[in-house]
Amino acid sequence: MSRQYGIYIRTDRCIQCHACEVACKSWNGIEPGIRWRRVADEWSGKFPEVANRTVSYSCMHCAKPACVGACPEKAISKRSEDGIVVVDVRKCKGCRTCAAACPFHIPEYGRTGTMQKCNLCLERLQQGRQPACVATCPGEALTFGFMDELAELSAAKSGEKLEAATDPSLYISGRLNGQAFLDLLNHSRQLKDASSL
Amino acid sequence: MNPDKDRFLVSRRTILKAAGAIGAGMPFADSPTGQSSHAATAEAVEERIPTFCAMCGPGLGCGIYACVRNGRFLRVEGMKESPLNGGRICAKAHAAPQWVYSPQRLKRPLKRTGAKGEGKFAPISWNEALDLIAAKLKEQKQKYGPESLAILSPARRSYSEYLYRFLIAHGSPNYGHSGICAMQKAFAFTYTLGSAPMPDVSRSKLILIWGKQPIYSGSTRGNLKQILDAKERGAKIISIKPTLEPDVALSDLWIPIRPGTDAALALAMLHVIINEKLYDSQFVTQWTFGFEKLADHVQKYTPEWAQPVTGLPAAQIRDLARTYATTKPACIDHGNGLEHVPSSNYAVRSIAILMAITGNLDRPGGDIFPSGGGMPFPKSVHLKERYTQEWVDKLVGPEFPKPFQPSTEGTSAAYYRIFNSVLTGEPYRIRTVIAPGTQPTVSTRGVKNVIEALKKLDFYVVVDVMQTAEMNYADVVVPVATMYETDHPFEFGGNWIMARRKVIEPLGDYKSDYEFWIDLGVKMGYGKDFWNGSLAECMNEQLKPLNLTMDELRARPTGITFPSKSMEYEKYSRVFASPSTRFTKAPYLPQGKVAIYNTTFEENGFEPLPIWVEPPESPTGTPDLMRKYPLTFSDFHTSKAYNAGWLRNVPLLREILPFPTLQIHPDTADERGIHEGDWVTVESPHGSMKIRAQVNPGIRPDTVMALHGWWQGCEELGLPGFPLLEGGANTNTMYSVDERKAFDPLVTAMSSQTLVQVRKA
Repeated sequence: MSRQYGIYIRTDRCIQCHACEVACKSWNGIEPGIRWRRVADEWSGKFPEVANRTVSYSCMHCAKPACVGACPEKAISKRSEDGIVVVDVRKCKGCRTCAAACPFHIPEYGRTGTMQKCNLCLERLQQGRQPACVATCPGEALTFGFMDELAELSAAKSGEKLEAATDPSLYISGRLNGQAFLDLLNHSRQLKDASSL
Repeated sequence: MNPDKDRFLVSRRTILKAAGAIGAGMPFADSPTGQSSHAATAEAVEERIPTFCAMCGPGLGCGIYACVRNGRFLRVEGMKESPLNGGRICAKAHAAPQWVYSPQRLKRPLKRTGAKGEGKFAPISWNEALDLIAAKLKEQKQKYGPESLAILSPARRSYSEYLYRFLIAHGSPNYGHSGICAMQKAFAFTYTLGSAPMPDVSRSKLILIWGKQPIYSGSTRGNLKQILDAKERGAKIISIKPTLEPDVALSDLWIPIRPGTDAALALAMLHVIINEKLYDSQFVTQWTFGFEKLADHVQKYTPEWAQPVTGLPAAQIRDLARTYATTKPACIDHGNGLEHVPSSNYAVRSIAILMAITGNLDRPGGDIFPSGGGMPFPKSVHLKERYTQEWVDKLVGPEFPKPFQPSTEGTSAAYYRIFNSVLTGEPYRIRTVIAPGTQPTVSTRGVKNVIEALKKLDFYVVVDVMQTAEMNYADVVVPVATMYETDHPFEFGGNWIMARRKVIEPLGDYKSDYEFWIDLGVKMGYGKDFWNGSLAECMNEQLKPLNLTMDELRARPTGITFPSKSMEYEKYSRVFASPSTRFTKAPYLPQGKVAIYNTTFEENGFEPLPIWVEPPESPTGTPDLMRKYPLTFSDFHTSKAYNAGWLRNVPLLREILPFPTLQIHPDTADERGIHEGDWVTVESPHGSMKIRAQVNPGIRPDTVMALHGWWQGCEELGLPGFPLLEGGANTNTMYSVDERKAFDPLVTAMSSQTLVQVRKA
């Protein structure tokens, strides 16, 4: 495989404005209740020494994606040219095996029942534009690019690559390190389950 | 000119570049100027139309490209060429198409056929609507005088000046300003410093964010970027406000002040800085008036005195004062939170004095007086030159006392006092209220009184894009085009000017807000003042100082950015001599120095030095009430999803904040058996709300807060709307409207603090 696309998030510049979420929904025509990108936050400490940390995340287009192997219909694949993990909705039967396999709880299922998730705005990339979330981010917290380039940018800000068994394509810097991000994801998942909308 | 010429076509089938050829950190070729060479079929072509976003205000919107296919507005992209936002846009901007196509859009002009409030209307034409309004205004002008008309101000838009023009042509001074937004600070700052200072965040070592939500308000290249960049280069940020919002989360220190007590904190800071001699004595001597009087005056405002009032430890107040006075340069980024309290003018004056005596005024990295941009100013349509003293004398309920009218914006009556006049007949009754883009039952306090006044009012006209909260009381409803459905006006800010472009054809029998006032002006017989109905002439006259016509401006797709002037600092002798907007043109500062001791206010019967005044209900002001109502309540003005009282009907935004919530500390919730998401009743001495608990560790345990502006439902998501009065979600029902206790005596600023009890609903 050639180079791998990924995202670098500078959590110090995320202001929980949800512009990324809404840009994603608008540009990809996503139905209500479904999100391909999410903004999550986490509290720590006690008043008045209380802190809040935040992150925006979506599918991390893992180098070793668990969903691809798990899918009984072979509906999920990883593009050899850029590492983007894509779903073929014509093959997907909506069995949700991928949801159980994904350690980050990314797959979503809307009215059609088939799996949907971030494809890094493939269509925009083909037009020479950045993913909608990255292009819009008012705080310039999100950067899109090849992993080797993101590594350099992240190193300059004492960031790190997210370490997990599936080798996700994400760099992170700022108030959240990789482990804190994974903890936050798990917590966020619980909130997502409890969400009434 | 051919309107299609300035639209940019990008075929969706065109693949501009292999995505893989571009590296990280390098911007992609997002520019729309790569015009398609494909003569693509209609359905394959997506137009990218450069214009302004219209999803917030006041001021001009960020630059956007509106993406349109087959005449349908599909989505939005940020305009890189715009100096306001450099291609970045917020959630609201992306939600614009849903707003434009909302099922709540007003579709045709309406005439009331049932009783007031009943909601029975008959459709009429645009022309009939204008005839009805003009006939009523002519009749009332003859019977009651032209001052019987009041127009309510929306959050400032470029059409605000047209409201003034119409009032002046008609003969009424009654422009109804909210009394809670921007002008309160502007007034107190100009009469203390000669001008309203802005924080020079990008050069500052210490930034005090005070009563402000800097990151969800305004353009993305403004405050937001400055603060994030300042943080990144190591500037220290201190946030002074009751809840830990995401901007506070970025701060080095959070000062969790009790709502409405900013004046007490500022006075105590002055106490520390003066007593510990931490001030800039050279500046004080040369450029301030009345420092010695202040030094005596603040002796009673010790940090220990301020501790129970502000809910902040005295030691923290001392530290804050010392840090602000000794870190150079330091700026105060002040917000509208300072304008919702009866001590508002004292808070702002104290803060102005803090800036001045610490030597941070108009110096790099401090709070500076804008030097103006390099762009010639378009001609105003206000007709300010026609004001007379008689005009001011006729004001129905001045927002600022008459001796200070007209103020910076023009003459103004307090929005709420206009409705009060309908109920009391004092000093006379307003007979017609026109509400363009504003909703009095959600935008001002005392909702019960506002509704009573709407029932009693002779004639009420709603001019809006969307159904409004009190539309059922309207005699005539005039639907206007969204800013995506008109090709005017131009908008400008800083050094940038651009023509609006029509994105889609109007979806109904609409004209713009601008056309409404011009057409109504002509119908009233004021054609000479309304360009005899010619919008083109109206635009071109305004553009004359720039030697441009609207067509010439429109030929520049992303507008014109003028070179900026280099910043000048320490403009004291010039700024301190600024003439005021009063008829006498007497300077704001009679001594030509910072008015620490304010002789202008003293001569007119107001306090010469800033003092502390309690909100109508508070722990230290009304301790007896604490048994029944043990928590302080206030509301937020700004949120990531909404503006004021609109946008709740837009699904993409409603998904972010689906319900009105009460921010409550975990301990405070536990004591009441309240869990996250529970519906709770919040009861004050004046009203009650039923909203959902959001357990928030980042709020003072003795304080609960809610976002204001809730009433709309969201049809597409099946989410309900909320009653305007008891048991709804309207924070304005919660507060006192007692003129003696709840309003600032000088700048009207209406209190948004009270005491409440909270229980599970």
